[in-house]
Amino acid sequence: MTTPAALPPLPFNPSRVRSYILRLPLFTRLVLLAIFAFWILELQKIWSVVQWGSLTPDEIGLGSMYRLNTYPFIHMGFFHTLLNILALTPLLERFEAEHGTLTSVALFIGPLSTLPAGLYLLVEKVILHRNTPVIGASVWAFLLLGSEAVRTFKSHPYFSIGSYKIPTWTSPLLACVFASVLIPNTSFLGHLCAVLVGYLLGLGYLKVFVPPEKILRWIEGKLNLLGRLPHYVSVDQKTYGRYGVLPTANPVGDRPTPLSYLGSTQLPTRNLRRNPHFLFIRLPYLLSFLCIVVGVIWLLLLPLNEYSRRTYISENALLPGQVHAYFSGSEQNIFRGYKKELEGLLIGGAGDNGGEDGVSGEVEVTPEASEKVQSILRAAGLKVATQNYEYTSAGITHQGQNTYAIINAPRGDATEAIVLVAAWKTADGELNTNGITLALTLARYFKRWSLWSKDIIFLITPDSKSGTQAWIDAYHDMHPPSVQPLPLKSGALQGALVVEYPFDHRFESLHIVYDGVNGQLPNLDLFNTAVSIAGGQMGIGAVLQEMWDHDDSYEARLETILRGMIKQGFGYATGAHSSFMPYHVDAITLQTKGEGWQDEMALGRTVESLCRSLNNLLEHLHQSFFFYLLMQSNRFVSIGTYLPSAMLIAGNFTIMAIALWMRTGYYAGSSPSTSASAPADEKKETAQKEKDASPAKTDASGVMERQLALPLTFVVGLHLLGLLPLYIFNNLSHQYFASAVYTCILADILLPLTLAALLTHHSPSTSTNAIPQHYLLIKSLSLLLLGLFLSTLATLNFSLSFMIGLLCAPLTFTNRTTSTSVLRHIFSTIGLVILNVLSPPVVLVGGCWWAGVSVESVLTLAAFGWDVWGVWTQVVVWCVWWPAWVIGCALLGSSVF
Amino acid sequence: MLVDRRKAAIFGAALVLRLLLWILFPSLPDLLTGRVEVSTPVNSFKRLQEGLFMYTRNVSPYDGGVFHQAPLLLPIFSLLPNAREYPLPTAIFYSLVDLANANALVTISDSGQALSGRLHSSLRKHVRYDGAAVAAWFLFNPFTIATCLSRSTNVFTTSGILYAISNAASGNSVNAMLALGFASYLSIYPALLFIPVVLLCYDQRVQKKKVSTNAAVFAVQHFGILLGSVAGLLGISCLVVGDFWQFVSATYGFQLLVPDLTPNVGLWWYFFIEMFDSFREFFLGVFWLHLACYVGGLTIRLRRQPLFVLTALLGIFAIFKPYPSISDASLYFAFLPLYRHLFSLMRYTFFAVSALLYATLLGPAFYHLWIYAGSGNANFFYAITLVWSLGLSILLADTVFAALREEWEQDNPELRGKDVRQV
Repeated sequence: MTTPAALPPLPFNPSRVRSYILRLPLFTRLVLLAIFAFWILELQKIWSVVQWGSLTPDEIGLGSMYRLNTYPFIHMGFFHTLLNILALTPLLERFEAEHGTLTSVALFIGPLSTLPAGLYLLVEKVILHRNTPVIGASVWAFLLLGSEAVRTFKSHPYFSIGSYKIPTWTSPLLACVFASVLIPNTSFLGHLCAVLVGYLLGLGYLKVFVPPEKILRWIEGKLNLLGRLPHYVSVDQKTYGRYGVLPTANPVGDRPTPLSYLGSTQLPTRNLRRNPHFLFIRLPYLLSFLCIVVGVIWLLLLPLNEYSRRTYISENALLPGQVHAYFSGSEQNIFRGYKKELEGLLIGGAGDNGGEDGVSGEVEVTPEASEKVQSILRAAGLKVATQNYEYTSAGITHQGQNTYAIINAPRGDATEAIVLVAAWKTADGELNTNGITLALTLARYFKRWSLWSKDIIFLITPDSKSGTQAWIDAYHDMHPPSVQPLPLKSGALQGALVVEYPFDHRFESLHIVYDGVNGQLPNLDLFNTAVSIAGGQMGIGAVLQEMWDHDDSYEARLETILRGMIKQGFGYATGAHSSFMPYHVDAITLQTKGEGWQDEMALGRTVESLCRSLNNLLEHLHQSFFFYLLMQSNRFVSIGTYLPSAMLIAGNFTIMAIALWMRTGYYAGSSPSTSASAPADEKKETAQKEKDASPAKTDASGVMERQLALPLTFVVGLHLLGLLPLYIFNNLSHQYFASAVYTCILADILLPLTLAALLTHHSPSTSTNAIPQHYLLIKSLSLLLLGLFLSTLATLNFSLSFMIGLLCAPLTFTNRTTSTSVLRHIFSTIGLVILNVLSPPVVLVGGCWWAGVSVESVLTLAAFGWDVWGVWTQVVVWCVWWPAWVIGCALLGSSVF
Repeated sequence: MLVDRRKAAIFGAALVLRLLLWILFPSLPDLLTGRVEVSTPVNSFKRLQEGLFMYTRNVSPYDGGVFHQAPLLLPIFSLLPNAREYPLPTAIFYSLVDLANANALVTISDSGQALSGRLHSSLRKHVRYDGAAVAAWFLFNPFTIATCLSRSTNVFTTSGILYAISNAASGNSVNAMLALGFASYLSIYPALLFIPVVLLCYDQRVQKKKVSTNAAVFAVQHFGILLGSVAGLLGISCLVVGDFWQFVSATYGFQLLVPDLTPNVGLWWYFFIEMFDSFREFFLGVFWLHLACYVGGLTIRLRRQPLFVLTALLGIFAIFKPYPSISDASLYFAFLPLYRHLFSLMRYTFFAVSALLYATLLGPAFYHLWIYAGSGNANFFYAITLVWSLGLSILLADTVFAALREEWEQDNPELRGKDVRQV
């Protein structure tokens, strides 16, 4: 660090700047952080922060009074932010060092932002009748300049330029004039108001707003703020009146030297390694919080062009849209004929088909219609077979008969097959007559072609929920006894297409549904092929995730991603295609949507072209991505880009678990050697820790042995207990679901409290202010398991892991609180209420209420998913989320006892 | 008789737990039997069933190249009723084997060899678990339970090793050699434990009888006993299967030459899949040499604690043997609670345990992605087996460090608790 003697010493000394920044007091840091955070927030375009928080005279009403406080934090762009931060930091730092953190908070959050704002509003609106919005921290900078100027005026009344003597209190006014001349878009009036309030502050007229010192001392002592908050400037520590101005007029005093900010020297230099309190207690919270924030921001960045990619066909054999589709003309007559025949047999129930549940719906497929389908297929020259199935779930029986027919490939050896599915009832429960008819017409049409190298299976199922599941299970001989085996089979399935056309008018666009059971997705190539054939060859637009008017903006992209994530996270079957996914058969559903000029022939040609593409495949679809998030029909993010966000959220639990583990083992032991250098306020803390450590065995090397039996049993036991609600909710009859949920909510309130009481009762009685070791260990183990499960889950079902991770995020920060009894009770009760709002059954009820569906129907669907589709979202909820939640609640609840 | 009652309670609970799992989840054993983490070609129950089927029909069980286990298992299992139709007798049999193994562990723990032997005496003798706790650790370890439910024949090797060590620790050197011979007969690698087991026997002999016999003569005598027991078992095997050479090449040849590269939790399969055939013999030699070379080094360095050498070697086998499964890891984990006094000296337990837990969960997940979902590939699973091995190695290195540190503290009592730097 020695500069050569020949050179002049650097005016800018980096190490000094660094130490200056490290010594910034707490409130200054928070303000800078808030300003920075708002600047970051402005980067997104969905929600205009400036419009939300600026001080706009016309917008000020009773409901928008918050603007009086928010406007100093918000800026226009980077340079505005930077300049204001540079101007504000030294002034604010000095103010805080002089007056203490609490006073600064009280003043700056209160009168020092509202007073200038009020003054400005008064002048701007009432006198000038204008409406210029203002924002920015420059108001504080000028305010503080004003108060400093008054102070300087008291010691040095004038500067003299030549023979002129200029009073020093005018300097902020001059600065104000210069700023408005030199920098465009600055509000002269706003700055002037700030300077005026600053003068008032400097002259001591605002003393009334400063809270009495006694109260400040009481708050500080009660909350032990000095020990808890880093960089906190205490009421006692403040260099109150050293500069001799505020708020008591004390004119004698030395002139402030601008470079040595003495006020901050009493903050101890914090060497991380010598500060186990910070390293083991504060830092993990910070890191965990950072992980969560970065994880969420990461997800929000994904829709940007920089992080997503355009889709492309990876498998060259597919050649989408390279063949002419001949399905047209006379086939339409056949279509109409088939439709007429089918409609004749269906009359009666076709009118109202709102019924959701499989059998009870009005459009029961009559045996005659099914016979008709079979006879049409047989007449077209296909081998036809049927399969009966029956499932019972939550006390409801779902039964039906699948009809399917196989075209044997003229150019193949029956080792591979494509499946074309049409269900009598679509995923939304509508009657799919056109879809069925189209499938029959295509069967007749395909049969006459000689170019198929793969078998084509036409599958007509009664509904979209259970029919395909029964068929695909039986195809792979994995069916339960209530499902008949298949009499007729073909080769390995290469892909499946589901056709839905549930109305009679022409359609506008194709809605492609691709989500599978348990969040499995089909190969992206299949989706891309469908999009490129529909859009490129046929001129039909393709939409996804029910985003009917997708304008390719950031918001629309994000919404598409989020909708996809929600479907993936719940893991239920979104259509007849979903059941194929667990067997590694890539499948999509094509749904017709909107009112347009595309007819059934266009849909038929699309399907034909898709089948031709699949027919080209040389091996199973494997080239492209299996893990992706689609944000537009031609844009996606791949797993490498999005996975870190869920991993970060899962990682936050692991970080906390490691920190707690280290805290139980090393912290107590290592503190005696370091306490000499630790500041006084931390000695108290370490002393408590040592007392806490005494029941456990302390080794000579300063390492404490951990008592693992109770925490291990507790955590493992609760995870096993999760099997109980899992079993109950999957085996109850559907009419009891609602009451079961409310019982569960009640049990969730009581169970943690009971556990907490038991834990407190059986714990060795130590000083009330310390957290006994086993609480920390329980939390550590529970969070470790949670992190483990969630990171494993992220590789299987990213969305579910992300959602559960977010819902569990508060669990990192809950703990047995260790303050005085009144505060402890208040805090833990509030915490318990918040946690109970985030409990699994309450979240379920809340979600149902928000989505406007009944709890019973959701749970019936979930039980159906468990019994029929093999959905394991429930396992994650009851055996991962719920135990972690109960433990978090019990730890928080233990502070009540 | 408080301890005995505790022991009985633990053993009873373990037995009940196993049988309950068997009865409540009838599909669980078959699921576990099919998992590559549990069943390897040399210990799979399915393959044993195949061999049994051929054996009971008077066909050589080694025809067809499916069965690679020792022939003496066949007459034992043919006494049990068919496991498919009557699963309970097999379940009880395996559970009882587990209990017997735990009993051997109790004997080892009660002998106190982990804390003090002829040449060393721990500074932290008061920090220990009693035999019942050690047995509980073994019996309620999920890996042990999974091994038991999967009916892996590795449990017999485990019994051989455990009884060899427990007999050695309580001074029955001849029984120890016989048990070690049984383990070596089932799967070759336990023979590598001969030197530390003999040292343990020798130390016990000297400590008890107070007469120092010549160590070399003692070792040669016992090597003779070991050879004799293996030869005897091989002789009986000849009676069971006719073709001696077919049996030897199908069992020992299979274990030595590693022709079946089905994925498992070890490090060999991926390496040998990727390798050009011309290098195969060379690397087989290198891998086996690598596995064997630890015996000499550890035995010499930790001569004062032969039981710890055995523990460390079992850990090394769990990582580096050709067809490892989680049952090998569970055997290693069973020995760790004997060294509770070293726990406070270990530095990376949490990290190692976390790595193992992560691998335990991610392994099946990635295997699912690779084999069933088709959206992953072999590298997913291989990466996780690397993590698993890494976790085990960290744990192993950490225990060895702790043992060395404790020896060092015994030698330098004035430096206890001071920071040291390993150079």
